[in-house]
Amino acid sequence: MKSLLAPLALSTALTLPGLAMARPVTLSTTLNNYGGDRAYLALYVTDPSGAYVGSLWMAGGKSKYYEHLGDWYRATGGDTGQVNGITGASVGAGRTLEITLDLADALFDAGYTLHIDAAVEDMRDSPNEVAVVLTTEGAGTPVRGRRYVARFQYDM
Amino acid sequence: MKSTLTTVSLVALLAAGAALADDDDCTAPRDTWQPREAAMQIAQQNGWTVQDFEIDDGCYEIEGRDSDGREIEVKLDPATLQVVEMEYEDDDERSGIRNPAPAGTAQPPQNGLFGNGAPPKVQVN
Repeated sequence: MKSLLAPLALSTALTLPGLAMARPVTLSTTLNNYGGDRAYLALYVTDPSGAYVGSLWMAGGKSKYYEHLGDWYRATGGDTGQVNGITGASVGAGRTLEITLDLADALFDAGYTLHIDAAVEDMRDSPNEVAVVLTTEGAGTPVRGRRYVARFQYDM
Repeated sequence: MKSTLTTVSLVALLAAGAALADDDDCTAPRDTWQPREAAMQIAQQNGWTVQDFEIDDGCYEIEGRDSDGREIEVKLDPATLQVVEMEYEDDDERSGIRNPAPAGTAQPPQNGLFGNGAPPKVQVN
């Protein structure tokens, strides 16, 4: 039942944004000192079935590099419309990207997963660098990425 | 962030037992390099304004503008000072590839994730 309700709640949020419940959330992504150029990062959400729902942030402004954010690129076909108005600068090694936004309540405790794809020039691409299921309990718990992300956590 | 083509050519090179190198890398031994000033002279002869000069993948790399004011990135072989690669930074727009609208210049997408429709606040520490 819960799995039925969650998409319903999200689609309600989609169609009735004025009524949608949301909470302020801070997403902190700290890169390790991998010793390379600035990283491109795509932060996006998938639903319980693994289907792409939408993007939260794109760090890196040149779309010619987006194919290196492999999973994001496959899910979106590289559509830059997905990240219009939510695109900023790429992030240097050792730096922390901190994003604060009002995130729809329906995403929590409903099997939605936040993903980060990462890519660095002349270094190995890292799709699905981070994948965390969004739960109220998981807030404040840091997780480690596979290659470039030293620490990711969401707080609310 | 290598292109698929580069990867394919790398595999081909490996299969042939040839040296492992990108097509835009320079492999000249250090003792054959011409001085940095000689590279700067090439830039001057071509009418380039140099904003940044560094060594990348064994090549001299110049970032700046050409005589028409277009942003360029040029790699020179440090031994021969031949141009190995030259990129125009505005090629994307000219070829119709669109970059996304930066934050603050457009509303976030209506994907249902942004509870109040407001753009995220972002900082890099």
